[in-house]
Amino acid sequence: MTATTFGWLVLLFPLAGTVVLGLGWRSLPGRSAGWIGTAAIAASFACAVVCLAALQSHHPGARQLTSTLWDYAVTVGVDARLSILVDPLAVMMILVVSGISALIHLYSVSYLWSDRGYARFFSYLNFFVFSMLLLVLAGNFLVLIIGWAFVGAASYLLISFWYRRTTATRAGIKAFVINVVGDVGLVLGTYFILKHTGTLDFVKTFNAVPHVFARDDGDLVAGCVLLLVGAFAKSAQIPLHTWLPDAMEGPTPVSALIHAATMVTAGVYLIARLHPLFERAPAAADVGAVIGCLTLVVAATIALAQTDVKRVIAYSTMSQIGYMIMGVSVGAYAAGLFHLMTHAFFKALLFMAAGSLIGAMAGEQSLNRMGGFRRAMPFTYAAFVVGGLALSGVPPFSGFFSKDEILLVTGERGGWHWILYVAGYAGALLTAVYTFRLIFRAFHGEPVKEATELEHGHLAHADHPFNPATGEEEDTDVGFPGPEHHIAERDPPMRLAMGVLAVGALVAGLVQIPKVDFVIDHFLHPSFADSALYEVRTKNGLLAVGLIVGTALGLAGVAIAYRIWVTRPGTAAAIQARLTFVHRLLVNKWYFDELLDLLFVRPGAWMGRFAQQTFERVVVNEALVGGTTGLVRAGSAAVRAAQSGFVRYYAGVLVIGIAAVSLYFLLQS
Amino acid sequence: MPLSILIWLPAAAALLGALAPRRGSYPLTGWFAFAGSVGALGITIGEIAGFDPGHSGLTHVTDQLWIAGLGIHYKLGLDGLNLFLVALTAVVSALAIGAANRRRWERPRLFFLYLGLAESAVLGALMAQDLILFVAFFDLMLIPFYFLTGQWGEENRVAATTKLVIYTLVGSLLMLAAAIATGVLVSTNTAHPLSFALSDLQNAGGIGAGAGLSAGSQEWIFLLFAAAFLVKMPAFPLHGWMPDGYRAMPLEALAIFSGVLSKVGAYGFLRIVLPLFPQASVHFQTLMLVIALASILYGSVMAFTQTNTRLILGYSSVAQLGFITLGIFALQPQGAQGAVLQMVNHGLVTLALFLIVGLLAARAAGSVDLRDMGGLALRAPVLSAIFLIVALATLAMPGSSNFVGEFLILLGVFRSKLAIAIVAFTGVVLASVYMLRTLIRAMHNRLGTRAESREIALADALALVPSTLVILGLSFYPQLVLHRSERSTAAAIAAARATAQPSQTARAPLAGASAPQPARTSTLGAGATHSGATR
Repeated sequence: MTATTFGWLVLLFPLAGTVVLGLGWRSLPGRSAGWIGTAAIAASFACAVVCLAALQSHHPGARQLTSTLWDYAVTVGVDARLSILVDPLAVMMILVVSGISALIHLYSVSYLWSDRGYARFFSYLNFFVFSMLLLVLAGNFLVLIIGWAFVGAASYLLISFWYRRTTATRAGIKAFVINVVGDVGLVLGTYFILKHTGTLDFVKTFNAVPHVFARDDGDLVAGCVLLLVGAFAKSAQIPLHTWLPDAMEGPTPVSALIHAATMVTAGVYLIARLHPLFERAPAAADVGAVIGCLTLVVAATIALAQTDVKRVIAYSTMSQIGYMIMGVSVGAYAAGLFHLMTHAFFKALLFMAAGSLIGAMAGEQSLNRMGGFRRAMPFTYAAFVVGGLALSGVPPFSGFFSKDEILLVTGERGGWHWILYVAGYAGALLTAVYTFRLIFRAFHGEPVKEATELEHGHLAHADHPFNPATGEEEDTDVGFPGPEHHIAERDPPMRLAMGVLAVGALVAGLVQIPKVDFVIDHFLHPSFADSALYEVRTKNGLLAVGLIVGTALGLAGVAIAYRIWVTRPGTAAAIQARLTFVHRLLVNKWYFDELLDLLFVRPGAWMGRFAQQTFERVVVNEALVGGTTGLVRAGSAAVRAAQSGFVRYYAGVLVIGIAAVSLYFLLQS
Repeated sequence: MPLSILIWLPAAAALLGALAPRRGSYPLTGWFAFAGSVGALGITIGEIAGFDPGHSGLTHVTDQLWIAGLGIHYKLGLDGLNLFLVALTAVVSALAIGAANRRRWERPRLFFLYLGLAESAVLGALMAQDLILFVAFFDLMLIPFYFLTGQWGEENRVAATTKLVIYTLVGSLLMLAAAIATGVLVSTNTAHPLSFALSDLQNAGGIGAGAGLSAGSQEWIFLLFAAAFLVKMPAFPLHGWMPDGYRAMPLEALAIFSGVLSKVGAYGFLRIVLPLFPQASVHFQTLMLVIALASILYGSVMAFTQTNTRLILGYSSVAQLGFITLGIFALQPQGAQGAVLQMVNHGLVTLALFLIVGLLAARAAGSVDLRDMGGLALRAPVLSAIFLIVALATLAMPGSSNFVGEFLILLGVFRSKLAIAIVAFTGVVLASVYMLRTLIRAMHNRLGTRAESREIALADALALVPSTLVILGLSFYPQLVLHRSERSTAAAIAAARATAQPSQTARAPLAGASAPQPARTSTLGAGATHSGATR
């Protein structure tokens, strides 16, 4: 069997899992739904590994395989087939996606156990993974768009999983609609490309690009910028990021999945996959780089002021994706994807640890209510510290190597890219500060009631579960972690998942150490063989500077956080008082929600009201209908006639006449 | 098999049922009507299976001179353009009539007779190949709905019937006048004997499409036809009858009315207007595109302010028919192809949605208002899942056949009028807003005060599940429709394209399309192509 066969199998297992769980939800006893879901993803991961081996057996020049199932829409110049493209880039993505997802499934087996929607949850979760795998394996634009939209739909389903919560349904529709905006960008961008290349197929498109497009051709730049809109919406880049923090309404494993494996990395993948287009349109690539850089800084500042545990981590994701988008936009493909991989490990770990923390707090997510969990939950604490150090880029943790490499390549581009380089390091400092602010506030200081009770073996349970966002009491019919819920510390599947991820966060960076090994670089090379920007770096001076500065900033950030939140607890309040304006700006997330509301939501609602209350009534009903009152009167006469039988008689004659004539011709023919 | 049998089978079966003796207290008319429409569905499936995609032009032609003195033919024919609309009519009617049998109606014999007659008339209008015959069937298909609304209607039925009769009657009369004028003028101009057969009108005297009519005549005739079709769809701003009509009509009848009849208007553009009046079609292209665009935006905006689910679907139909019109008047092969596919898709989802509205109302104390619903999903996971699938298809999520339709439509518009395409994409986003809003407010959030969450009954599922399966099946393989309709659709817009860009007709629609079809890439596992080496 060839690599592509395993590519199809990678897709088959999660899809089969979705169907089995979707149809058999009623008859699956105990935790079997969870184990079926986990097994499906694990099987998918196994196929991905075999696929890797099969691909590596090919000559490096021939590691780009396609396979087609059937014609999907092949007509009038559109050649959409159900096809996949298996190359090193796709294989790396399926490995990361299926591997991390399998661990998240494992974690969910116990995390969601007390929830009433257990089988439904795993069905959605399998579908989510299937969608993402379809996205990364797509062999043409149409299949990519399908996977892209499926990811959006799956995220909608999972974000509003607890659908009786109005905050959850509102967050779900917000995520879906912003993702549809992204889909529209993707489709329009595809039109611009298709117009010139005449094909939707990736390989044919890449071959055609140098011949049909001049450098920075107008249509190409327009197309690429529109594709970027799709990438920004899915990867939560400014200004289409506002759905991501709200997406925290979903159960915590969903957050882990969205942030680490199955969703926000799609934009990074898209740019890497379509690099021949972006390299031909450097103007569009620059847009990507600038937006990525902007996002990484803005998101990091917002994370400094948030008090919801999951939201702090959510903004850190936005910021880290900003690094990746910037990386792949400036040509640091291997580095961007390397960071994608390491980030998947430590971000999934951080969310799982956060889930454990929230479980111990009986659903409470506010940092203001937490503190001193260090002794009560040593395992979670250790997980947080490992994940936090990796996120902050402290050597030898994985995030250090990957983040540094992105900035190194950015710096090497020279010119105005130096601004991005400096901003990237500024973001690194902020990252370390907000990450350890979170850790110190939750785990150090005076233990709160829940923490002390937990030390004595009591797990806190809310008497009346309530929605932390609105304060209204939960409708428990749908199910939330109920009275028998566990915390990650004590439950073997969750502990195992976190343990594996912690090891990954610790060592994943070792595959690509500057001057030592280049596993990722070499492995991905066949996918980027046509790239002018893909090269193994050489400038030793910049490399050394980067490594030293990166280490220093990471450690400095941790030290600052320690000083503010541990040794001098009053400092934070003092800073807030001094910089009220900045603090308000950050707490309100730079007012992006309000801005989008003002620009789109309110005008839309206003137009709706105008159409309904004014236009429909005055113009359509009165001017058009009322203006022809005479006709209406005549019509009412017609209806009266119908009552009295005239129209009925007329209709009867017409029907019988036509029927008789038809019968006549039928007999004739 | 003669197409007349296909056309008249549903009406004949319903008539038979109306005459059949009753068993027990309630007559069996409904099941006779159902059997007739299932028979029609069977014939249609046979036609699809036996259809040769490579064949261009009509098949199964029945051509008899009906009224010799006036040149009116009883001419019927099937081709790639109407094949799937016929199939849509058969599917929607069979399932809607089947679903209608779940309820007890007053005067059931008449009720089902009207439904059977409506199906026959629609099938006739779709297969008619003579202009006067088309007009006759077009009027005939409206008549049952006047009575269905007036006698079995719900809220405010008299006003609804009045508006419906007036609007559609005015449209029909305009169309009749236009049809007669077309035949007479062509005959006069070309000095050929009077004939209303479409083939004779289109190619009068063998001097090329549309040559029988001067540009001036084409233009006013075009406007008359357009008015009739746009009222039927309905399109903005001619939708004044729609809110009352949609509020009043019985849901099962509404499923046929909205799912199928509205498409006949759009079909009329492709079958009659574009081939017969190509110059006028090009002349009014921008006007039609703007009307279509206005329908999309207005319909979408209205759809997300309504709380009456019937009206939400009504306005969403205005928007969806706007997309279809947009595709037709892009005058590009992609747009027309997308329009044909989208007519089928929209008919299917409309049927399913109206059936769902009926089920929702049964769970919300008979109300179709969103404010009385909410939280219905809890004990109805199957209903909820079906609603979700249908809603996602309706908002044209990629992966659904509706998306392929919209993709092709917008691609066509993109290629002819870029700015209009970009504005039309707003409608795509708005569709996701109003469909999800409906889904969430009905199924999710807190349980409504009068609502009761209850799983779908097996008998209800018998109508709803097949329609969902058809939607899913087409989503897996839209090529089924595209492949078979490609040639006929191209023929339908050929005349207009030739007028629009005489120099470019020889060119292929897309750069890559003229190149010989590349060898099909291998299927699963069987020797993958090694394209990397060539790069």
